[in-house]
Amino acid sequence: MIGVRKKRRDFSQLSPLGNALAVLLAGGFAFLCVFPFLFVILISFTDEAALARNGYSIFPEKWSLEAYRYIFLTGDQLLRSYGVTILVTVLGTLISLVMISLFSYAVSRRSFKYRNFFAFFAFFTMLFNGGLVPTYIVVTQLLGMNDSLWALIMPMAVNAFYIMIMRTFFILSVPESIIEAGKIDGASEFGVFIRLVLPLSLPGLATIGLFSTLAYWNDWFNALLYIDSPNLVPLQSMLMRIETSMQFLLQNSNNPSVNSGLLQSLPQDTSRMAMVVLATGPIVLAYPFFQRYFVQGLTVGAVKE
Amino acid sequence: MKHGKKSAALLSLVLAGLLALSACSGNSGGNGPAASPGSGSNTQGGDEKPVELIWYTIGTPQKDLDRVNEEVNKYTLEKINATVQMNMLDWGDYSQKMGVMTASGTPVDIMFTASWAFDYVQNARKGAFMSIDELLKSHGQGILDVLDPAFLEGSKVDGVNYGIPANKELPAQEVWRFNKKLLDKYNLKLDGVRTLESLEPLLATIKANEPNVTPLAIAKDFMPLAGYDYLIEKMPMAVKLDTKDFKVVNILETPEMQKELDTMRKYYQAGYIATEAATLDTMNDAILAGNWFTDRAATQPFADNLWSASYGYPVVSTPAGEPTIYNWSVMGSMQAISANSEHPEKAMEFLNLLNTDPYLRNLIDSGIEDVHYKKTGDNVMENLPEAQNYDMPTFSLGNVMLTYLTKDDPATKWEEFKTFNASGKPSPILGFNFNGSNVATELATLQNVKEEFWSTLMTGTVDPKEYLPKAIEKFKTAGLDKVIAEAQKQLDAWVAEQK
Amino acid sequence: MAATPSPALFIRAEWRDHVKSLISVLRDMNKNKALLMMVLPAAVWFVCFSYLPMAGMIIAFKEYRYSREGFLASIMNSKWVGFDNFKFLFSTSDAYVITRNTILYNAAFIVLGLVLAVALAVMLSELVNKRLAKWFQTGMFLPHFLSWVIVGYFVFSFLSVDRGIVNQALGLFGIDPMHWYNDKTYWPVILVFVFLWKSIGYNSVIYLAGIMGIDRSLYEAAMIDGASKRQQIFRITIPMLTPLMVIMTLLAVGKIFYADFGLFYQIPRDSGTLYSVTNVIDTYVYRGLKVTGEIGMSAAAGLYQSVVGFVLVVVSNTIVRRIDKDNALF
Repeated sequence: MIGVRKKRRDFSQLSPLGNALAVLLAGGFAFLCVFPFLFVILISFTDEAALARNGYSIFPEKWSLEAYRYIFLTGDQLLRSYGVTILVTVLGTLISLVMISLFSYAVSRRSFKYRNFFAFFAFFTMLFNGGLVPTYIVVTQLLGMNDSLWALIMPMAVNAFYIMIMRTFFILSVPESIIEAGKIDGASEFGVFIRLVLPLSLPGLATIGLFSTLAYWNDWFNALLYIDSPNLVPLQSMLMRIETSMQFLLQNSNNPSVNSGLLQSLPQDTSRMAMVVLATGPIVLAYPFFQRYFVQGLTVGAVKE
Repeated sequence: MKHGKKSAALLSLVLAGLLALSACSGNSGGNGPAASPGSGSNTQGGDEKPVELIWYTIGTPQKDLDRVNEEVNKYTLEKINATVQMNMLDWGDYSQKMGVMTASGTPVDIMFTASWAFDYVQNARKGAFMSIDELLKSHGQGILDVLDPAFLEGSKVDGVNYGIPANKELPAQEVWRFNKKLLDKYNLKLDGVRTLESLEPLLATIKANEPNVTPLAIAKDFMPLAGYDYLIEKMPMAVKLDTKDFKVVNILETPEMQKELDTMRKYYQAGYIATEAATLDTMNDAILAGNWFTDRAATQPFADNLWSASYGYPVVSTPAGEPTIYNWSVMGSMQAISANSEHPEKAMEFLNLLNTDPYLRNLIDSGIEDVHYKKTGDNVMENLPEAQNYDMPTFSLGNVMLTYLTKDDPATKWEEFKTFNASGKPSPILGFNFNGSNVATELATLQNVKEEFWSTLMTGTVDPKEYLPKAIEKFKTAGLDKVIAEAQKQLDAWVAEQK
Repeated sequence: MAATPSPALFIRAEWRDHVKSLISVLRDMNKNKALLMMVLPAAVWFVCFSYLPMAGMIIAFKEYRYSREGFLASIMNSKWVGFDNFKFLFSTSDAYVITRNTILYNAAFIVLGLVLAVALAVMLSELVNKRLAKWFQTGMFLPHFLSWVIVGYFVFSFLSVDRGIVNQALGLFGIDPMHWYNDKTYWPVILVFVFLWKSIGYNSVIYLAGIMGIDRSLYEAAMIDGASKRQQIFRITIPMLTPLMVIMTLLAVGKIFYADFGLFYQIPRDSGTLYSVTNVIDTYVYRGLKVTGEIGMSAAAGLYQSVVGFVLVVVSNTIVRRIDKDNALF
């Protein structure tokens, strides 16, 4: 079957010249995007003093593991934080995929009487918000989520932006006729949704899932607000704490109170880069696997069709 | 749209319901926490139930905090029939998280505040702290005994004290720091070095001979000393330090500041200053690498030793100004009692103990004896390996003069501090804090004007001849005159009250 | 037309009408039961995490002061100041500059971002070597992981006067070093470039997914009709992506008064001489309130940004709905 598909694709391929141009353009841009990242890795292994002397260099004068050593000083905290981040990311992505796809499917249905109301209901929250303090009160005092994993998961579980995109994907990739046909066959709304709609919407689901994964992985602010216990601090938050505190102390280095003995020789630049490597390394490495998984999902959907 | 009207009505109904709901829930939330203070602790020592105080302070959270906290509680339970729940928030997080917690009414009893973290004056005005004037007399007599009165005088906000400053260095004195290696190499003498201008020959020598060294290592927060005290940090309203008439002026219009700015411009053009000083957060890189010659810093007794030790090469300094007691230097480190504390008396008793009791102070500062440190003399200690799990910022936790010395400290350390404190001359506006709430709009716009011009002018990056008039003009249109008039009114009233 | 449910519910004379309309509402709800159940979880979430906290918008009209009895009491007891908190947004010549900058930059981001993200997605989807396309796509995603602070360091390593790569390159051609952080001429271009660099990879994923969702048979039919690749792209791919493009643009229009703080603050290194081209509403508010920390004023700024965005979206959504009902947001 794959052979057949391929043959058809061949027939529709870009011309060699067009393809070369596209490779050049896309490849050039991709390089522009990857290069700084490689640079980050290089700098993280550079000696801090050499960096201060020569600035950023592709061929560091002296290599060093000091930046990593400094972060690894936190010991098991680092591992625990990885654990928290992974748990929150997986759980959070699942929860938000369920909630978002249900909601956006309903508002994508033309036969849903309240679709405009609920679309507006979601959209309105994209623009208006009550600010930090009221949200903090709801999460800590009303929902009592303070210092629990839920405080890391729930505040990010739904997002009107994702809902609007997902709704468009549903409209685009699921013709109303399929739903009607499913209903005539006697399937319930939920049945139609799970057996007919979801398989057709895999690209959209994969996109929203990816965005959601990244959002959970990169989040540090919720932990800053809601987490006190060191056991529940996620990775980004832990690294962010080190980073902002380093920054804060440096900015206040002229303050007589602060400079009295607090300013040890922190490896500033290099450890900042090392933090980027530690924080994004795992997810970047995992990304191709994600991608393969999603693409497989897509092929399944295509075959069904 | 047939349903438009209907759904609009439905929406408003839902919204109204939600608002009502939020009002109720918010209320219960607000009242809730007060219900269960000190539950779970054992009743000991008679009829009174021990109180649990919640304490937030600044610094990187320490691994052994809970362990030390237990020891602290054993002691305080016995002494004042109270326990403390110690919480630490990291440097960079402290202001933001405390801000949210206070604004949302989260229960806290004691918290760290300063002029540079969780802004003391600002939050005192907003009502975050409890007035401690009465409490100090009734439950904090010990603090009044040990603390230099200037500390409490200088930390008054609208005539009321809201926090207990840590007993430490009181005035601020600016010094020129020098990289001693370079001083020796070119045999440069520090006699006669004091003003910005007097540095010139030294800087010229370094510039001529050391192409890789930044002669004057300043970053964007640098401000030349012009002999004025600012009413608000870095806002151009200032009062001359030796003023008789307490006149508030625009510092950019004073001849003193203009002269300094011209010098800075000269230095910038001569290449004594990093080309991008106006956008650099810090010159720490250059200092760590030893690629600098001089900079300006605030000193304290034995600061040269401290600097030399932390950079790993000798640093010497010479005064650039008089030791002066400013509002901000007094407010360098304080502990305040939260306005919503249920147990203000106990909190004050605890703070009193913290500032007067060497055992408690050192327990909180250095950890448990023979676990985190061991004593090698009467008031001398040495860190044990475990100390890395409990490393607290000494200056932030009350009276530093109770803390044990390390073996590198001179025995006379605290005497020197007292001498230094006594040498400080109070700024004429010590204890006056400008209240900007009448001119909040102007302050916000002025702040933007300030950010636009300040660093580039102060570092000599732009020509004051061209940009100073521009800046002055823009400050005027943004309403500086109105703010100065308001400040003058408040200051005059304050001066009259002082007499 | 049946009467709408309203406070008049309690008036006896209209009692019957209301019961009737209530019944019809209930009947409607019953008919949509399953879909309502689907909406429920996220709707409850919106109530808790978005609508409840919205009560806090009142702060924009208050001089917010803390009260012992908690947040609600604080709001109640704080002084009403009407629209005073909004004044600082309009009071000086800066008001014009920040509004202009915010709108123009965002307009550029919206237009260029859309064109380039779609172009990139189409290119990636058409590459003959699919494996290569996957690599490229992964690579383009990487900037998303770098914080603005880090990006700021990189831009600095390019533009620094003494050690910057750009100035060194200019030196090779005998051109004098430029003071990039003091010269505002090129900053609009630099900022737009940096923004696009960081965001296109992320946005193109959406369009790529959109392309993957297009029914293959459409292309096959077109090929049978002898359509060239170019025609396929412009007659099938782009039209099929239009709903996505419209939605993305509408959503971006709603945020047109919000600027990306990190981009405008970290990348120009907060350099004062560049403010006339880098100061936007968000940086202005941040700088203005750094010292006084008035929550009321920052709430006011947020409300102002929201209201303007809201009005713009409602207007453009109405236009979109006129053209094609399905593409509208609501």
